[in-house]
Amino acid sequence: MASKRFSFFSKGQLVVLALLAATPLLDVVAPSLQFSGPMRTVIVFAILALGLNIVVGWTGLLNLGIAAFMAIGAYAFGILTSEIYPFQVGFWWGIVLSGAIGAFAGWLLGAPTLRLRGDYLAIVTLGFGEIVQDGLKNLPTITKGTEGINPLPAPTILDSSLKVVEVSGETPVRWFFIYLALLALIVFLCRNLEFSRLGRQWFAVREDELAARCMAIEPDKAKLKAFAAGAALAAISGALYASHLSSTGEPSNYDFQISILALCIVIVGGIGSITGVLVGAIVMVGLNNVLLPIATQSLQRAGFASTGNVLASPDNYKYLFFGLALVLMMHFRPDGLVHTRKAVRK
Amino acid sequence: MLQFVRLSAVLGSFALAASAFAADSVKIVSSLPRTGSANAQTTSMVNGIKMAIAEVGGKIGDFEIAYEDWDDASPQRGNWDPAVEAQNADKAKADQTVVAYIGTYNSGAAKISMPKLNEAGIVMVSPANTAPNLTKEGFGEKNEPAVYRPSGKINYFRVVPTDDVQGAVAADFAKELGAKKVFVLNDREVYGKGVAGVFEKRAKEIGLEVVGTDGLDGKASNYKSLVTKMKQVGAEVVYFGGTTQTNAGQLAKDIVTAGLKAKLIVPDGCYEKAFIEAAGEKALEGRAYITFGGVDPKLLEGKGKEFYEGYKKTYSAEPEGYAVYGYEAAKVVIAAMQRIHAAGGKITRASVLEEVGKTKDFAGALGTWSFDANGDTTNRTMSVNTVKNGDFSTVKVVN
Amino acid sequence: MSETEVFMQQVIYGLSNGMIIALVALGYTMVYGIIELINFAHGDVFTLGGFLALTIVGALGASAVIDPATLGEGSHWLLLFALVIASGLFCGGLNVLIDTIAYKPLRRAPKLTQLVAAIGVSFILVNIALFWGGAPMEVFGGGNAAAASKDFPELLEGSNLLGEDSNVVLRLEDIAIFAITIPLMIGLTLFVKKTRLGRGMRATAQNPVAAQLMGIDTNRVIAATFMIGGFLGGAASVMWSLYNNTISFQMGFRAGMDAFTAAVLGGIGSLPGAMIGGVLIGLIRAMSDQYIETRWTNVVVFGVLILILVFRPSGLMGLKQREKV
Repeated sequence: MASKRFSFFSKGQLVVLALLAATPLLDVVAPSLQFSGPMRTVIVFAILALGLNIVVGWTGLLNLGIAAFMAIGAYAFGILTSEIYPFQVGFWWGIVLSGAIGAFAGWLLGAPTLRLRGDYLAIVTLGFGEIVQDGLKNLPTITKGTEGINPLPAPTILDSSLKVVEVSGETPVRWFFIYLALLALIVFLCRNLEFSRLGRQWFAVREDELAARCMAIEPDKAKLKAFAAGAALAAISGALYASHLSSTGEPSNYDFQISILALCIVIVGGIGSITGVLVGAIVMVGLNNVLLPIATQSLQRAGFASTGNVLASPDNYKYLFFGLALVLMMHFRPDGLVHTRKAVRK
Repeated sequence: MLQFVRLSAVLGSFALAASAFAADSVKIVSSLPRTGSANAQTTSMVNGIKMAIAEVGGKIGDFEIAYEDWDDASPQRGNWDPAVEAQNADKAKADQTVVAYIGTYNSGAAKISMPKLNEAGIVMVSPANTAPNLTKEGFGEKNEPAVYRPSGKINYFRVVPTDDVQGAVAADFAKELGAKKVFVLNDREVYGKGVAGVFEKRAKEIGLEVVGTDGLDGKASNYKSLVTKMKQVGAEVVYFGGTTQTNAGQLAKDIVTAGLKAKLIVPDGCYEKAFIEAAGEKALEGRAYITFGGVDPKLLEGKGKEFYEGYKKTYSAEPEGYAVYGYEAAKVVIAAMQRIHAAGGKITRASVLEEVGKTKDFAGALGTWSFDANGDTTNRTMSVNTVKNGDFSTVKVVN
Repeated sequence: MSETEVFMQQVIYGLSNGMIIALVALGYTMVYGIIELINFAHGDVFTLGGFLALTIVGALGASAVIDPATLGEGSHWLLLFALVIASGLFCGGLNVLIDTIAYKPLRRAPKLTQLVAAIGVSFILVNIALFWGGAPMEVFGGGNAAAASKDFPELLEGSNLLGEDSNVVLRLEDIAIFAITIPLMIGLTLFVKKTRLGRGMRATAQNPVAAQLMGIDTNRVIAATFMIGGFLGGAASVMWSLYNNTISFQMGFRAGMDAFTAAVLGGIGSLPGAMIGGVLIGLIRAMSDQYIETRWTNVVVFGVLILILVFRPSGLMGLKQREKV
């Protein structure tokens, strides 16, 4: 795919995407571990973190409420596609419209608040996250409150006789590759955005707002676009998450902890770097959803099982290892696992 | 490419061989939140499950029963994680030796794994889900519960009575207490909101005045302001649809400290020692009532008494209500396996599913009960309990 | 209850809750003021303070604490005072330790790297609190249910100071919160204004490089800031335990979030701002519980926050930042 002068992906991105594409092989080697399930979750969070990366990494705005847009995306997808609502637009329109609704929500929050600086903006986004979560809980006539919306459609594809069929849980690998293709598309878009006029404006605003203004860049407009783009990607990730689970889950599934996870992915992977974000998603979601469960289960099988004593149960060490991993990674790779050309220092 | 196909074929046959080799050992797994605030409750459930398996020596005939305790929470969420619950269900599907899935704890989590396990034909027995819409029509959306049964067959069973029974019993009891004005609270989670909704409906039917409803934040530091509001509207009974985890203990305390002279009624999510410990005896004695689907293990005769004595011996602690549910869920699966084995059948997913569904007049620790056509327990025995001398004490048993 | 009584009651609760939030918020704002780090672990340091206090109470014997006869008149106040000092010193020390191990090596790294390290520390502390909750002591439920909430015995006599027949409830705890929090705040203000170390703090906050050039040992100043911030957090955890009578291993999450919100609302880096922000959030919560609905309280709090920041972008007391030229 890579020609000399033009490439869709950088080498690093290509390597990570290829690695992801190879994970179904693990299902063949170790079928009981079911990697293609967690890998869909990895892709969902990679897209979420790519969205956050536009805001935090490229434009330098600290956003602690990205989960709100993920929730908006998931619920928009739920309302637009579920059989209990009248719309039922199907998977693909659901994804597109959720993204658009997410972008609008991002614009709506951004317009009045983007002139805030640094941590004042952070708290506003954090607050917005809480508001969205409580709003979803408290308006059951629209959102079904805490019940969640289900079932939701899986991706549809054309089968060999060109009929539209839904991929099912019985073909998880097909499902995984559809998600992977979407991720590749988004990586491609992000990469082009990064080197576009708008991308350069974002970097300029991040480095020095005043200087950017002197270069005839309108920082507020550039920031607003970053906010909307980030929110759109977060909403798409929410829609994919809901489709993956076939349910929106409860509103509290999109709480502050999710925003924190997304932030950790961006920073651990390497702020500002698309490859870094992809690596970060694999490492963080892998740690949370794959490595720690497998580790504790192996310990249990080896006879270290809970007998009521808090110290004797392997499950009780999960917070500790998760936290320790974060601290250690930051110490040994303060600029993230994948170094960017230039670290963001503010 | 051809080489790859060959490689995967070889590896695949290895995997197949491995599972064929292990065919005379079967696995029961549980999927419960083991990380985070529900850990205290799920630990006692897991203890109950382990005890049930240990009672048969981990064996039925030549079949070894392995048990694995899966966590459906993750450290990053600190609570049940929908992605992990989906993973657990997928993992159970893929592992052919898994014949029974005990879980979930949260009704929201059940909604995610139920359709997956239904497709795979794995029996699922919940020791804790009480949301009626998981099994019964007319309580949730019009597509419920069919949406959880894509294969059309029933594979989901539960050993706990549903909230439509429990909420109504609580409302009737509120009237017996002589209350006229009730205030209905919920914790804005699936379980709490559901049971509070039933209470509210029943309360209106039997002529109680609902002076207010509200939802609280289970993580808030205290509820003194909310209690003041309830005091202003003259609530005589406060019903809280919630659990120990969602701060029922704190609410009980604040009702006392903010000077509201009302009784508190809570559902079985609070029927555990941890609730007494969190609230303190003083805030509960003579003030709080806890409904529970079943009767106090101490009062049980026969099987129940055996469980009670056995649990105390094994874990040197009093069994919780939750422990009984875990024990009963595992026990009903094991009993089905024993019946299959006695009849000379093979213990497989399909046979276990079929046999569990046939459970009838099962003499368990919760009494003698069967599964009805929806997969729910026919056990409608509810007890209303209060707290005396630091322990639960039964006020009344309703059938 | 008449409308006035209800309103007075809510003011009392709002102020008491707000004072506790304010104490925690001071820890956030001080650390932020010096090294521009949102110290995510602060809420969990606060949690551990509560666990230490309960351990001490348990070691003394919870029944002895409740019964004034065994300890004598006035001894409750003494015990409370001792707990504040003990938890304060413990949390202060812990905070300094965390800074030395986890944040100090990252001082030159990007700001967000420190933030993620702080998030990591927060997870570790939550786990420590979980283990602590399984301690084999009677006050921790004999170690059976580590994750369950723990009852914190009433340290002060619980009767209504306005008389048992009064509709408005004012208890000794409410008084204690004021009696301990206000002197701490005054002491802190005086310390920062009058002492040499305090001046060093203000100088470092304004410009760390210039401060260093002027001969200020910034490392010492930073350590002192973590110590004092932690001390206030520890004191707050005793206030919290006294007021709510419950502690749990996750209590730092909501407390931390409220406090961080308060710090920003007041203008992050500003001490009076954090105090005002905390009290304001306590009051808004109480009024929203009463006059709107509890289920909308979080929405109201953050809605008000966003509105205030839209009109006052640097918080209530924050200095307006000058544009770099």
